[in-house]
Amino acid sequence: MIDQYETFGHHRNVARSLLILISLLAVVVIIPATLLSQESTVYVSVLSTKLFVVGAANPETGVFYKKTTDDTVWQHTGPKNIRDFGIAVHTPSRGQLICIAAGNGLHKTTDGGKTWKMTTGWQITEVSSVVIDKDDPHLIFCTTPYGVFKTLDGGATWVECNNGIKQLFTSSILMDHSNSSTLYCSTEDGVYRSEDRGNSWKRTGLTVGGVRVVVQHPKDSNTLFAGTDNNGIYVTHNGGKYWEKCAAGLDHSTFYAIVFDPNNPQILYAGGYVTGVYKSTDGGQSWKRINDGLTNLNIHSLAVDPTNSNRVYAGTLWSGVFRSLDGGASWHSAGLTGSQVWTITVQPF
Amino acid sequence: MNIKKFFLIVILFALQSANAQMVSRETYLKEFEKRAAFVTSIYDTAQSVGYYQAAVRYARGKDLATADKMLIELLRDPRGDMFWMIPAIGTYLHGKDNMSPEARAAMRNAWKTYAPYRGDTENHWCMYHASLFLAAEQWPNLPGSEWYNGKSSEENLRDAKEYLIHWMNISTTIGQGEFDSPDYFPEYAMPMILLSQYAKDPEMRTRGTMMTDYIFADFAVEHLDGQYIGGFSRIYQPAVYKPLLSGASAFAYLYFGTGEPTNSGWTVLPALSNYRLPEIIYSIALDRSKTYIHQERKRVRNVIRFGTEKNPPVYKYSYITKDYGIGSLQGGILQPIQQHTWGVRYTYGRPYTTIFGLHPYWSGTEVGMFFPEEVKTLIADVVASKGTYNNPDKWTGGSPFERTFQHKNTLIVLYDIAPGTTTEHIDGFFPRNLEERIVEPSGWIACKAGDVYIGWYPLQEYEWKEESDVSINTLNDIGRPQLERVKETGNWRLRSHKPQNGYVIEVRSKDEIGSFAQFQAALNAHTPAATLQPGSVSVQYTTLGGDKMDFAFPEKRTLNGNAIDLSKTKLFEGPFINAEVGSEKMTMTYKNKKLVLDFKAVKIIE
Repeated sequence: MIDQYETFGHHRNVARSLLILISLLAVVVIIPATLLSQESTVYVSVLSTKLFVVGAANPETGVFYKKTTDDTVWQHTGPKNIRDFGIAVHTPSRGQLICIAAGNGLHKTTDGGKTWKMTTGWQITEVSSVVIDKDDPHLIFCTTPYGVFKTLDGGATWVECNNGIKQLFTSSILMDHSNSSTLYCSTEDGVYRSEDRGNSWKRTGLTVGGVRVVVQHPKDSNTLFAGTDNNGIYVTHNGGKYWEKCAAGLDHSTFYAIVFDPNNPQILYAGGYVTGVYKSTDGGQSWKRINDGLTNLNIHSLAVDPTNSNRVYAGTLWSGVFRSLDGGASWHSAGLTGSQVWTITVQPF
Repeated sequence: MNIKKFFLIVILFALQSANAQMVSRETYLKEFEKRAAFVTSIYDTAQSVGYYQAAVRYARGKDLATADKMLIELLRDPRGDMFWMIPAIGTYLHGKDNMSPEARAAMRNAWKTYAPYRGDTENHWCMYHASLFLAAEQWPNLPGSEWYNGKSSEENLRDAKEYLIHWMNISTTIGQGEFDSPDYFPEYAMPMILLSQYAKDPEMRTRGTMMTDYIFADFAVEHLDGQYIGGFSRIYQPAVYKPLLSGASAFAYLYFGTGEPTNSGWTVLPALSNYRLPEIIYSIALDRSKTYIHQERKRVRNVIRFGTEKNPPVYKYSYITKDYGIGSLQGGILQPIQQHTWGVRYTYGRPYTTIFGLHPYWSGTEVGMFFPEEVKTLIADVVASKGTYNNPDKWTGGSPFERTFQHKNTLIVLYDIAPGTTTEHIDGFFPRNLEERIVEPSGWIACKAGDVYIGWYPLQEYEWKEESDVSINTLNDIGRPQLERVKETGNWRLRSHKPQNGYVIEVRSKDEIGSFAQFQAALNAHTPAATLQPGSVSVQYTTLGGDKMDFAFPEKRTLNGNAIDLSKTKLFEGPFINAEVGSEKMTMTYKNKKLVLDFKAVKIIE
């Protein structure tokens, strides 16, 4: 016989089981669902628009941002019309510290965009990219057509650091996520590596011209990919000593952007001149074009939302931003039409 | 045109004729004032809203309420980057004493809220930093929160001054980068004239005056009848074939009294300023009683990729008479987009007072050498503002497949165009108002432009094409209205499709050779011998003056058996202006007068 208590107990056990089941469901479904709907912020730098002419009444350009859950409204921050090439958002400060790499120089905010200061002087111009040390926000590097510059004091003073670089035109710079003393920069004669915070550089095994971008595997710091103008995509698995050309599935040769899925490094996206978006699901061994809905195939920037790997952004030359909610299977315009979107970054806050 | 304006122009023409003769300083200054009054005459009554309209009203103390209203309206939404900064600060400096507190406040606020783009070339940086320097002096001791770039007044002042001194140093040691540009002369003259009058820092005021003198002297020595002579870093259509349309010609009118009267906006602020040209400079500009050779060394603007040298040298050679000038750069890519490698300009037959030739080349590599954007899409970016850049019929631009060799009034131009280049033809411009354009049995094309005779000997077969109008409303590839007219009816284009190519140019005046028939006979007695194979393009030619020129593409130049070493070219070398490379010192001489601009000592020595 089952007494009331026992019945209760039985019911209690059922309830406990249900609770466990629900908890498990929560772990398996609900929490990821929460993650999926977690808000992040997408930042883009608009270099110019179709109608840009120096000295003319140009449309607004510069840095725009919006929450990833917001489909339509882009907010502007920072100076307008100064030819923004790149942007670095300092994740630990949750976007309080942002740097813009621009034609006018390196601009910085420490209050999330309320106030900005141009930190560089006349010598540092047409800044193409910027990186901030996540652990030491005073350490900032930027690249220019005249080489690499760095500051140790948050921009109060800058020094040129091109020792070892032959062709000074540098397009991008990467700080090793596991060791901020190690840096890579892309130049007109290959990829260079520094192991002493930019004090000296040595050319890696990649010596082709027109390197536009270098990206690093989120977990394996020795694996890097490089996109080039005219020479395709290369990969190294030993920190740059040897590079191999990625061939399988790639029918184009000019790549301005490569990005890893931060949650699954087997997945990469790449884009460039008339390429549309390429996707690899095997760590870059093979690639496939995924351009459904992409009405402009000139891709200059790519980003994957770290809070939702299916949410991928592509910045085009002259057609603004495109967004995919299904890992690149289909694309839809996400605004800023007519813009050259040079850089995109998605931050988990 | 109303009758009053007609008579005013007639009087001004008469004054110009008088100016062609050497005049006393007193007379020059009086005539300058009249021209300055003419330049500004339409602006103080014009109702259209503009900075110059406001500036002239303020400077004249006339209709100040309208000036305030205009300025406040303009400053509500400033646009134009450095092309805003110069007229804005110029208006403020010329007008602040007559400005209402509201207008002054609007101006101050604009420098706090509007962030101008600094630009990507020398004229941009010059205008940007000169304006910022002057603005920072006007509003000292302000924190970064009061400036568009977040820097304090002192930081802006220091940064702008550093750049300006750097630019002056580099220009006076290895030459200006955007050198001798008929269309960009104003972009340097305006900021330097403002510095000359309004810089509070005595050093920068002196430097402003010195640099104004410097660029005017640079123009004066290659000036003829309102025109800039020679090869240029940058020129637009239509000024390339209608020389007096350039901004420099507007300055020639105001400061030399030559060319044609114009109310060009470029000269409004200078016309309001207290800067006056030293006598020696306008004497050099106007005295063409003796023929002379003038050589210069300039520099290529910053080469940021696809090159081995940041600022390679440019060698310039000009031969100037009272009737014509012929000048050239050595050829190759010396400036992106708008280079004018060589040209003949003369005093006859306005507005088409020129003959020149080119290889109409364009490429992503060319623009990628100078601009940091992506090479693959740069051409489209450039075409947004320079509509003819990728037009095979364009009349401006340099080419890596073009080289020149000039001796006095003889010029050889050679081409060795690689297969697959964007265009594989060369073009020559022959204006419609030539009195004669005769193809001689010898192959020479003999042209007559008044008392100036031009001979053109094509080294390969060619065809003539008559230019026809293209609507000014044509849209370019990205839907932007064409800024430049590509063609004009009635002028003639010589086109040759052979990639290994070239021509010889001879120019003489009636005073130099006699009649046109004598010129024709001389041409026919001198024909060049050429080798025109891929990788082997050369010419041997004995000039009408009897000099033997041997020229092998790209760089082998021999004159009367002696190799020419262009690297020995000085910064300035000629009868009027001299400067050594690296010297930071220009010496002007004219008759018994001498003027030295010593940038090391920051001194003007007379």
